[in-house]
Amino acid sequence: MNLTLFIQQLLNGLSIGSIYAIFALGYTLIFSILGIINFAHGAIFTLGAYLTYALMGEAFGFNGLLANAALPIKLPFPLALILGSIIAGLVGVAIERIAFRPLRRRGADPLLTVVSSLGVALIVVNLIQYLVGAENYTFPGNTFGNLPASINFGSGENPIPIRTVQIVIFLVSVLVLAILTYFINYTKYGKAMRAVAEDPTTASLLGINTDGFIVLTFFISSFLAGVAGTLVGSSVSIAGPYFGIAFGLKGLAVIVLGGLGSIPGAVLGGLLIGVVEAFVPGQYSAYKDAVAFGILFIMLLVRPQGLLGRRLIQKV
Amino acid sequence: MSQQVLSKDNSILEAKGLTRRFGGLVAVNNVSFSVQKHEIFGLIGPNGAGKTTLFNLITCLLPPSSGQLIYEGEKISQLRPHQVASKGISRTFQNIRLFGELSALENVMIGRHIHSRNIHPVAALVSGMLALPVANQQEKETKQKALELLEMMGLNDRTNEKAKNFPYGDQRRLEIARALALEPQILLLDEPAAGMNPNEKHQLSEFIREIRDRFNLTIILIEHHVPLVMGLCDRIAVLDFGQLIALGEPAVVRNDPAVIEAYLGDD
Repeated sequence: MNLTLFIQQLLNGLSIGSIYAIFALGYTLIFSILGIINFAHGAIFTLGAYLTYALMGEAFGFNGLLANAALPIKLPFPLALILGSIIAGLVGVAIERIAFRPLRRRGADPLLTVVSSLGVALIVVNLIQYLVGAENYTFPGNTFGNLPASINFGSGENPIPIRTVQIVIFLVSVLVLAILTYFINYTKYGKAMRAVAEDPTTASLLGINTDGFIVLTFFISSFLAGVAGTLVGSSVSIAGPYFGIAFGLKGLAVIVLGGLGSIPGAVLGGLLIGVVEAFVPGQYSAYKDAVAFGILFIMLLVRPQGLLGRRLIQKV
Repeated sequence: MSQQVLSKDNSILEAKGLTRRFGGLVAVNNVSFSVQKHEIFGLIGPNGAGKTTLFNLITCLLPPSSGQLIYEGEKISQLRPHQVASKGISRTFQNIRLFGELSALENVMIGRHIHSRNIHPVAALVSGMLALPVANQQEKETKQKALELLEMMGLNDRTNEKAKNFPYGDQRRLEIARALALEPQILLLDEPAAGMNPNEKHQLSEFIREIRDRFNLTIILIEHHVPLVMGLCDRIAVLDFGQLIALGEPAVVRNDPAVIEAYLGDD
């Protein structure tokens, strides 16, 4: 492998890995507060991509209830991304109300909540299919305005062209990660969130409304899923209503690799899996997922708590 | 919806026929008492007498099966724990419950959650990002208050260390600092002297009086160490199998035959 290809694949890997990271962070935030995996996360990812697509004023296909319909507004990509992800976040909040809170109030077994979230995932996915059909949607060619299709990171005689969309993805992801890190570590609400994650009972006795912070966590988590879905959709295409489900499984590999409940772990795990996948030779690219889960299995054997996870201590 | 009830004399907290059942077990059985403002009120009794359950009722971690709790003239039993905490009832735990993964400073800052100015989370996020003075000022004030409390507890030399790395005695003091950060009216201490040597227990008595006066607190404490309770408390309530068997000043309770039989005689 020559140097040009190496750098290209490395940057591609970091780009897709940074999406894995923000997507997996959504899982991690909810896991660290409720101790469960939210299987609706992948469906929100899908929803976010469709929402951004719709907000850019693009028309849907000829299948489904909304055949050939388009919103009368054409938002530029950054605005559509933000607004679409906010709506995805609000859908996450609604899901918490409908599928999580009633079970939590009754002290239901966590497994039941997991099943409930799976049910929500299927409903969201089927609803999308009912509304807009199962075909592929590609973001418009001018999604990123007048930016060139690729940017040369090498010199004139040694070109290292990188697709602009990969750079945009990476920058957006880094920005989102920076904002989230600041919020969690340095604001009153971030501290309270961490307190609720560690011990909700004690947090409530310090005047913290734990339900409110669970809602906030669902909003942030689903917002992140919406951003990730949009970025993947704009980079390749929206591959039908089920495209978030496979991505959702990949996200699980990322958080187990990084360490369940660890925020830096989710970021590291995401980047790692992204880069390793990028170096899977072209003729084997159909086996990328197998590589990700192969890493996961090895990790579970060697270091079950994940790269940055804490060793689980039985609570007495 | 809270109904105003006229409080007698100088009472800050009143339990009226408070009962809590767990299945067939009656952990707290028809208990009534009234705690006066600025009092140090002791709660003693053998293991399983229902003392911690009573604390859980007062902090609304558990709803009572029947009976009422009245705090500053208001029924509080139907409130949620964070609401009671905001109204000024704060506590520590028998088995210390710090946020172990967070620093000592963060633990105390979280205790100030209800006091730091309420700006919207989104506003906090945006203004923090842009380094606007609002968010930074808010965090600075909270941090300043937290540092003062840590200094008072003699914990100011390791404020950025994770709470779980502190030795046992320091964890107890850190938990009290966090409880005080709420600026409570009533402080509930669940076995504050557990694991302390006689000298430390003596210092603890002095310390509890000091914070009572300094922060104008009412203190309710559960404690097994009888000499400490007798020396420190203004009044003592004795629980046995969930029932209140004696209530009064230490000298009276000490000589109560029912108390001697149920508890003190055991020693």
